[in-house]
Amino acid sequence: MQAKAVKAIEARLPLFAGFSAHSWAFAVRVWLACLLALYSSFWLQLEVPSSAAITVAILALPTRGQGLEKAGFRLFATAIGVAASIGIAGFFSQTDGLLLAVLGVWVGLCVCATAMLDGNRAYAAALSCITVALITIQQIDSPQQVFPTGVARGAALAIGVLAVALINDVLAAPDYHPVVTNRLEALQRQIMSYAATVLRGETLPASLAAGILKDVAALRPEIASLRTESSSGAARSSAARSAMVDLVTALYLARALASLSTAAMPASVSLDRDERRSNLLTTCRSWLEGELVRRNAEVESSLDALRNGTHPAVRRRAPLYRSGRIAVENGFRASICFTLIAALFVMAGWPTTEVALSLVAVIIGLGATAPDPRKFTAIAILATPISCLLAGILKYFVFNGVSEFPLLAIGLAPVVIGLALLISLPNPLLSSLGRLSLVFTLAILAPTNPQSYDPLVFVITCTLACLAALLTFAAQVLVPPLSGKRRLQLLLTEVRGKRGGLRDRPGRRLSPEETAFREATRVQQIVAASSALAQGQCAVGEAMNDFDRSIALKRCDAELDRLKDGQLAEAADIGRAALARRDAGLLLATAGELRRAATQRNLSAEAACAALVLASVTFGPSTSAAGSIGARKS
Amino acid sequence: MTHTYQELVLDGVLVAPIVSYAVTALLLFLLLRPLLHLAGFAKLFSNPSLAELSLYVSMFGLLALFF
Repeated sequence: MQAKAVKAIEARLPLFAGFSAHSWAFAVRVWLACLLALYSSFWLQLEVPSSAAITVAILALPTRGQGLEKAGFRLFATAIGVAASIGIAGFFSQTDGLLLAVLGVWVGLCVCATAMLDGNRAYAAALSCITVALITIQQIDSPQQVFPTGVARGAALAIGVLAVALINDVLAAPDYHPVVTNRLEALQRQIMSYAATVLRGETLPASLAAGILKDVAALRPEIASLRTESSSGAARSSAARSAMVDLVTALYLARALASLSTAAMPASVSLDRDERRSNLLTTCRSWLEGELVRRNAEVESSLDALRNGTHPAVRRRAPLYRSGRIAVENGFRASICFTLIAALFVMAGWPTTEVALSLVAVIIGLGATAPDPRKFTAIAILATPISCLLAGILKYFVFNGVSEFPLLAIGLAPVVIGLALLISLPNPLLSSLGRLSLVFTLAILAPTNPQSYDPLVFVITCTLACLAALLTFAAQVLVPPLSGKRRLQLLLTEVRGKRGGLRDRPGRRLSPEETAFREATRVQQIVAASSALAQGQCAVGEAMNDFDRSIALKRCDAELDRLKDGQLAEAADIGRAALARRDAGLLLATAGELRRAATQRNLSAEAACAALVLASVTFGPSTSAAGSIGARKS
Repeated sequence: MTHTYQELVLDGVLVAPIVSYAVTALLLFLLLRPLLHLAGFAKLFSNPSLAELSLYVSMFGLLALFF
């Protein structure tokens, strides 16, 4: 009811110049934070006040929690970047080519780390590369200035972060948890509708389930940002995480019910046991239905905890699937791109090219956090001339020699508010263009006290900025970033390679629900990589089959583990041996034996029995085909 | 009598007292957050984030005044 009321109020909010009141409020907050950051920096006589304003532009996010989380990672990554800068400048400052090679390796390492992480953690890895670029590369001829430059940058960043936090708090920037709650509720409805369709006996395409898994897994980085929102943030984040992980399990259970309906009998088992097998399948089905109801109730309970700001009844982790090979290839390619451009600048021997080289590292670093780095560079090519034009108009037509702060505030208003409105648009292309243009405009304008109006410096800066974007694009044409096809190939190779067994990271035992979520993040990556490819449907089908198999294995393993110390330990060992052989017929026979043993001892082993039957169905001959075919009515 | 501030020295690098007070207050505030959650602090205010900011500023001010 409350959500409906909020939506109704939002629908009634007036639009001004095509933007909602929320967008205008966000844009005004960005402008005020920008002014506060600049004013404080001027007052404290910081060396690079523009860095404080750029920090505000980078942290310009519509909700408070997201901005604060990004701010925390920004400060952390800056500290790492400054430490790396001091190390690199200290050890390699007199080594010419070797210094550039080391910088290339650092860029590669950071891009590699970016590919292994998600959300603001990935941004922090990229920022470690950017910080080194802005400190070490810009001070390449004066390494003794690396430490003071690092301190100046750190101070400006801290001012920018404080300005954003203060303005967001004072002007009551909206919370993010209602948005996350709405999205989780919508996904819950979608999954329950999927389950209802399955229970009616209809078969749904694998791509539909993969799409839902992608949407659920996409919430992972956003849920992490709830932690910083308020004192209840940690509880809300935990509740949302539990709901998200349970949603994946609910979808798996619905798929398991579907595979049970379409399961063919294993040919190796004789026909005289048909009735017993049918009983086992019925037991498994009723257990799955009960589990689905229970899981839905847990999701409801977690969503209630999220709304009330309390901890959930069951706390779950949300592990991320990381592909080491994709990360290494990404890092290697980024390193080559950077080294190629650095070598070109060295051969050209132009003065002040360190500015362009540092911008190249910035574009490569930020591009690594985008889904398609080459598209990001293309946006950067578009954003740099726009920013040069805006900065030029501001500098030579609007300000034109003035140095009073109120005039700076008024002059910046249309540009900052306009670009912040662009950031608030739902279109990712326009939003990225707005953010990049705002950051580059502030970087090229470089507000200082007193303001510099040297046209030669301005023209050189603009030329080098445009050149850097163009050269990065050219280098990425020569050494293209990892294509969707290659990413898919690597992911599928890993899928096929791990079929030998269950793999938990040493020292980190995952529950079946957490394993299911990790597999969902892999499906998410496969769906993203295959979105524009002809063979995408087949790949998604294969990924979903592997998703079902991995979870069936894990669940069966967990259920048999529970029996290992009781009277059914012997039967559980036989079950485990059958599981290791992945033999559908043997698994079904073992389930029957286990049930008989449990009945004789007057014990309940329904869950283990059902898990064995489910594993038998999953490893049976029919499901591999059932997953990838299109929608059909049974 | 004028209050004197001690500079923090990290391996020869002098850190301004205001920075050490801000960081200490932040750490204390982060430690205090679970207690605030238990006490239902967020439910007492219409703008909880502003209340939390005010609490942080108060802690920062008290640290600067008494230490």
